Amino acid sequence: MAPPPASAVADAMTAPARPRPSQTNIDIMAVTKGFHWPWMIALMFAVSGVIMAFCALAYQTYEGLGVAGYQAPVFWAVYIITFVFWIGIGHAGTLISAILFLFRAKWRNAINRGAEAMTVFAVLTAALFPLIHIGRLWKFYFLLPYPNQRYLWVNFKSPLIWDVFAVNTYLTISVLFFIVGLIPDIAIARDQAVGWKKVVYTVLAAGWQGTGKQWKAHSRTILHLSGIATPLVLSVHSIVSWDFAMSIVPGWHATIFAPYFVAGAIFGGFAMVIVVMVPVRRIFRLEKYITDYHFENMSRFILFTSLICAYAYGAEYFIAWYSGIEFEQTSFWQRAFGPYWFSTWCMIIFNVVFPQLLWIKKLRTNVPFLFVLCVFINVGMWFERYVIIITSLSREYIPAAWGLYIPSTVELMVLTGSFCWFSMFFLLFLKMFPIIAITEVKELEIHAKEHGGAR
Amino acid sequence: MQTLVSVYELPSDVASVVRKLKARGFDDLTTYSPAPFEEIEEAEDAKPSGVRLYTLLGGLIGVVTGFGLQLWMSMDWPIKIAGKNIAAIPPMWIIGFELTILFGGVATVIAFFGFAGLRPRKLDEHYSPRFSAEDFGVVVTCEARDVPEVEGLMRGHNAKEVVLHGSD
Repeated sequence: MAPPPASAVADAMTAPARPRPSQTNIDIMAVTKGFHWPWMIALMFAVSGVIMAFCALAYQTYEGLGVAGYQAPVFWAVYIITFVFWIGIGHAGTLISAILFLFRAKWRNAINRGAEAMTVFAVLTAALFPLIHIGRLWKFYFLLPYPNQRYLWVNFKSPLIWDVFAVNTYLTISVLFFIVGLIPDIAIARDQAVGWKKVVYTVLAAGWQGTGKQWKAHSRTILHLSGIATPLVLSVHSIVSWDFAMSIVPGWHATIFAPYFVAGAIFGGFAMVIVVMVPVRRIFRLEKYITDYHFENMSRFILFTSLICAYAYGAEYFIAWYSGIEFEQTSFWQRAFGPYWFSTWCMIIFNVVFPQLLWIKKLRTNVPFLFVLCVFINVGMWFERYVIIITSLSREYIPAAWGLYIPSTVELMVLTGSFCWFSMFFLLFLKMFPIIAITEVKELEIHAKEHGGAR
Repeated sequence: MQTLVSVYELPSDVASVVRKLKARGFDDLTTYSPAPFEEIEEAEDAKPSGVRLYTLLGGLIGVVTGFGLQLWMSMDWPIKIAGKNIAAIPPMWIIGFELTILFGGVATVIAFFGFAGLRPRKLDEHYSPRFSAEDFGVVVTCEARDVPEVEGLMRGHNAKEVVLHGSD
């Protein structure tokens, strides 16, 4: 018997029902739409801070590094401290997107986009500081191996050159990771947008439609990028630590530096994720997606890495004492009781003592408390780098060569500007792209609908 | 040729209808999904993704470039530093490693754009914004005589809509 004509079958088929709107799409894309006063005020503050920092930087570039407060024997100061601080901040993003992805920790899905954005902007901020530190910004390309008339190449045995390669690789991989993750969400934005926004999102989505072939390539790419970003993130802060540990300055020449720096970076980075995500969640009403459960998990990481930092601080003091080397012992004595005692005790109290409160479950889920704690932790982590760099350099070997360093106004303006620069990018990102990875959240929701449970 | 567009609510239904359709020889099919689901990817194409080859190739080029660059530059203008060999291998591992990651990562993303067919272009005729919202789609192109069978398979796997396009 011949099959019925296709038109007959078509008649029998149901007419298209009205497509179901996705509440998740609507809720998360709502962040990018409309006008939010707190956002505008924060952006105005951030832009003002950036302008202030550029003015300070222009003044420094014109006058020279003398206005930066550098004074013998301290020639690495606020700029290098801030560079290490921002590189460290970026680490939590990679940990959340890559390492937790490999461990199949699904709770990361609601916070990974914000953390990845934070990583990209933090590394962008950090990358400015070596250039600011060298004073003659236009000579930055001296750091790179390029053919030149003097037939000289860079010194590949120097940790500073390792750092150039590590930071640039980290920035590139972080940006690629970020873009690959963002494309499916940009397609959602494209499907919702109208007018000129639709044109922009259409170009950026690059023809993404969520076909099986596209998702397969996407999943494999995320997997492989996670696989290579994991050793990368551990290497980057290890290499940053070797900028110090490869030297013979008392307080720097220590084998514990690499794991100590990596743990500190993750510690500070998670604290920054909380500092950034708490107001975002509150202002844009994202409590349904970023829950207390997420904050509790991040608190556990903070508590764990705080203990590693505590161990590293203790090990440094113990080894200095046990080594019997007078210069090491003096350096560490000066840290705690010398002219920079304030920064050392801030570091210990903010990074070791305060985080112990997170043993209490109620506090791990108390979001306002976490926000305040994490602000303290970020201050403590900045002071940690201040302690390592300034006290060691100012109290090296010969007491006659000791000196006292006090940050100059220009340095403090540039430091403040770095926070504004970071915030400006983050705030602009909030209004352009989804701050929560919509497709990854939906993956969990659909799984939960099909199999029940899951968060 | 006829094109049938079916819409589903759950990924397991999509995976099983795709398996059935492929088993019956309907290979000209495309799925649309609002999120990644391994079962759908496996059902549609069980072969391993080619992205991994590019990652490996990029990594290998990176490690050769990393060591080659440093060896050549060290020998090109030999300067003895800190009593180490002119072309000391141990410190070269650092930049060798970083360039392995850099080249591997860039090659992976290039492969992603290639395999996923990402470029500014017109979207498929049967793509609908609902597939970036909550719904899943399966689009099958078949002969007119196969339409009832394909429709039956789709409905048998909880398709909430089946629409026929391109009747001749």
